[in-house]
Amino acid sequence: MSRPLALAIYALTAAFFACFFVYPIWHTVREAFVTPEGGVTFAYVEELFRNPIYLEGFANSFWMGLFSTVLAILIALPLALANHAWKFPGRELLNALVLVPLILPPFVGALGIRQFLGQAGVLNTFLIELGLMDAAAPFDWLGEGRLVGIVLMIALHLYPIAYLNLTAALANLDPALEEAAENLGCHGFRRFVRVTLPLITPGLFAGGTIIFIWAFTELGVPLVFDFDRVTSVQIFEGIKDLSGNPFPYALVVVMLVATTLFYLAGKWFFGRDSFAGSGRASTGRHLRPASPGRAALCVGMFAFVTALAVLPHLGVVLLSLSNDWYGTILPTSLTGQHYLDALGHPLTLSSIGNSLKYAALATGLDLLLGIGIAYVVVRTKLPGRELLDAMAMLPLAVPGLVLAFGYLAMTREGQPFAFLVHSGDPLLILVIAYGVRRLPYVVRSAAAGFQQTSVSLEEAAQNLGCPPLKALRRITLPLISANLIAGGLLAFSFAMLEVSDSLILAEQQQHYPITKAIYALVTSLGTGPNLASALGVWAMAFLTVTIVGAGLILGKKLGALFRV
Amino acid sequence: MVSLSIRGLVKRFGDLVALDRLDLDIAGGELFFLLGPSGCGKTTLLRAIAGFHFPDEGSIRFDGEDVTRVPPHKRDTGMMFQSYALWPHLNVFRNVAFGLEERRVPKAELRARVEEALAMVRMEGLGTRKIHQLSGGQQQRVALARALVVRPRCLLLDEPLSNLDAKLRIEMRGEIRRICKDFGLTAVYVTHDQKEALSMADRMAVLDAGRLAQVGTPEELYRRPASAFVAGFVGETNLVPGVLVAVSGEDHLVSTPLGELAGRVVAPDWKPAPGESVLLSIRPECLSLSPTPPEQNAIAGTLEESVYLGEIAQYTLRTEGHDKPIHIAELNPRRVLRDTGAVFYAGAKAEDVVVLPAG
Repeated sequence: MSRPLALAIYALTAAFFACFFVYPIWHTVREAFVTPEGGVTFAYVEELFRNPIYLEGFANSFWMGLFSTVLAILIALPLALANHAWKFPGRELLNALVLVPLILPPFVGALGIRQFLGQAGVLNTFLIELGLMDAAAPFDWLGEGRLVGIVLMIALHLYPIAYLNLTAALANLDPALEEAAENLGCHGFRRFVRVTLPLITPGLFAGGTIIFIWAFTELGVPLVFDFDRVTSVQIFEGIKDLSGNPFPYALVVVMLVATTLFYLAGKWFFGRDSFAGSGRASTGRHLRPASPGRAALCVGMFAFVTALAVLPHLGVVLLSLSNDWYGTILPTSLTGQHYLDALGHPLTLSSIGNSLKYAALATGLDLLLGIGIAYVVVRTKLPGRELLDAMAMLPLAVPGLVLAFGYLAMTREGQPFAFLVHSGDPLLILVIAYGVRRLPYVVRSAAAGFQQTSVSLEEAAQNLGCPPLKALRRITLPLISANLIAGGLLAFSFAMLEVSDSLILAEQQQHYPITKAIYALVTSLGTGPNLASALGVWAMAFLTVTIVGAGLILGKKLGALFRV
Repeated sequence: MVSLSIRGLVKRFGDLVALDRLDLDIAGGELFFLLGPSGCGKTTLLRAIAGFHFPDEGSIRFDGEDVTRVPPHKRDTGMMFQSYALWPHLNVFRNVAFGLEERRVPKAELRARVEEALAMVRMEGLGTRKIHQLSGGQQQRVALARALVVRPRCLLLDEPLSNLDAKLRIEMRGEIRRICKDFGLTAVYVTHDQKEALSMADRMAVLDAGRLAQVGTPEELYRRPASAFVAGFVGETNLVPGVLVAVSGEDHLVSTPLGELAGRVVAPDWKPAPGESVLLSIRPECLSLSPTPPEQNAIAGTLEESVYLGEIAQYTLRTEGHDKPIHIAELNPRRVLRDTGAVFYAGAKAEDVVVLPAG
């Protein structure tokens, strides 16, 4: 590629990031430290640390992040190791199924959990019928241990990220390294602790970081569980009276600083010696067929985890089909009416249309930026290209809530980017918000494609008279189309599922995306939750199709998309 | 068929100087080889000719036309890549047709020319094959056809045979030379295989650290190397340091750790004076081994190893005073000397001992 063109791409993407990544964060940070008179103050942040409600929120957020991460890794590690060591029946299928929870929106699943664990839920009814519980005083599972339910929900949603990272790390492990340990008499669990685990630590860390940041700032699940003692919900609630209230800003700043510190601490602790790339496989890996007992164990493990993870969503499906489901184990009568009603509801069709529009435009933006960035990073020697690469990955490390808040603040009346919200229509800012948040997936998948495609293929085309941009279009893009489709599908799916940006930035009903419509239905009375479930099932079906498509196209490379 | 003229070419990668003020002229229709060890700059030079690197200084001309800053797609060169760089998403025919499509050649002519090119590399009828269905040798032929079909101003080959097995490599040497000569192509061929260069080149250059060590015909470089580096890189040789003692006619008498040896100076413009430090280069095949001292240039030593290879016998002679053993190759050996440990004498005619500048 010619240098001026590469420089132009660099400048454009850098400008885009300055406007829509750095600026919103800076804007938020500034508001947290500036008094109405224009002076600098730490009073707002100090006040947060004196207020016990906020302090409890921080503590809960931290536990929510930590426990979700640990639980997700504990779920994923045995699965990944079993998959790494043995061949067992249905391995490919189970490998795909175990990823399904990732694309089921967790806050929709939370609806299902409420159905199971609520005071008049399935579990209590079951216990009452067995005579183990007093019908007059049912136990409030979610009330007493709401954080437990939230952590369970988040971990069951996010363990596929850990699984993908671990399988990728294990697949990249040179089998000779483990064989050498065997050869020297180190076997089984000792071998795992002494050789395998240290070598896959970077993968573990990469997955764990994403999960922690995600869980630490999760908004949808606590919101549906009606749990407002976490920072994310406190910020969300604070938005209602934003004018003149500096505390939401201060909360966002504290959250940003905390995620950054956790990330750096983790990187320092786990990532000090990076073994990544130290061992290209020198010998082929031979999977041992599992003995019947082990095979049964493996299959059972995979099936159990998958079933557990989709249980909430099964609850959602049942809820969407039920006429009346209160104080009984199963719904008393089934109906398809909610699906029809959901389709007929004024919120539904417009929200599906809006989401499709927002997500499609955001995916287009991501492909454009992602291909450009990946090309400059992989194919040019431009100084500072690593910076561009790092910048493009940063949205993974910054909570969606922080960015959403920044976008809201910078597009308010009188702010420089107010023009992006034209008479209340959040189209532009939502497309940008979705786009920035999902850009890392597209950049990584495009970069992987460029790296796997020898540059001499493009040079050969140029040598035969094909100009550089045309060579890119005729040769390289067709060759990496699988990567682009997969990255694009992921960006699209996650944009459809986006919670923080959607809830915060779409303020008028006719502009609601699906996620906000579901949230609005959940909190409305009557058949609202049933309608929300029906809408959720529509969304889940749609996303299942796209993600399975991406998985089929990308295969094992899917894991590379979830690395920081 | 263009002539290439390269003047003062400099290319730096960070601190590394890949090409260091390099001058080179290649005549039209010449099959020219760039030879050198890894990292000597030969591929950088080839890629500069193709336009993939713009040099930091200097110029490249095709038939006098300055192309130094012309982008690769406007240079009209045909390049064969080391990895072949065949596009896996296009079949054989579409790979070969690509350059013609870029040149907007009419359909009928395009088809005819692609068929002709495939026939030329003996790949007729395989146009619909996918690239991954081809063997290494077939891929190499397709890459050659793809570069030739556009009738390039010059053909650039980057170690095109390095991925082939030995037998196919020798077969393709003849094939590539035949095609280049049939079309009167100017071709620049990069290799680190000196046998390939010696057997195919009209002329060749040896590069060392971004500079030309020597340019000439294969015989010139082999028989009359300009430096110890060239002597050592093109073919094998024994290098012995010494001091020039006397000059009588063509014979130069040199005092070495192996005794006084007589040799010839082959560089036309170098006249060493007595007392000057020099290096002697003696090719293994110029030495003969016998139990009795020869009349001229006798080198005494103990036989360390003898290896029989059929057409050749290789001996290693350990001498006193010189740390490196002397290698001797006897062609068409009738009897192999196997008395290792015994004292033998190696000898060479003065005209086969080349006196080179030291260092």
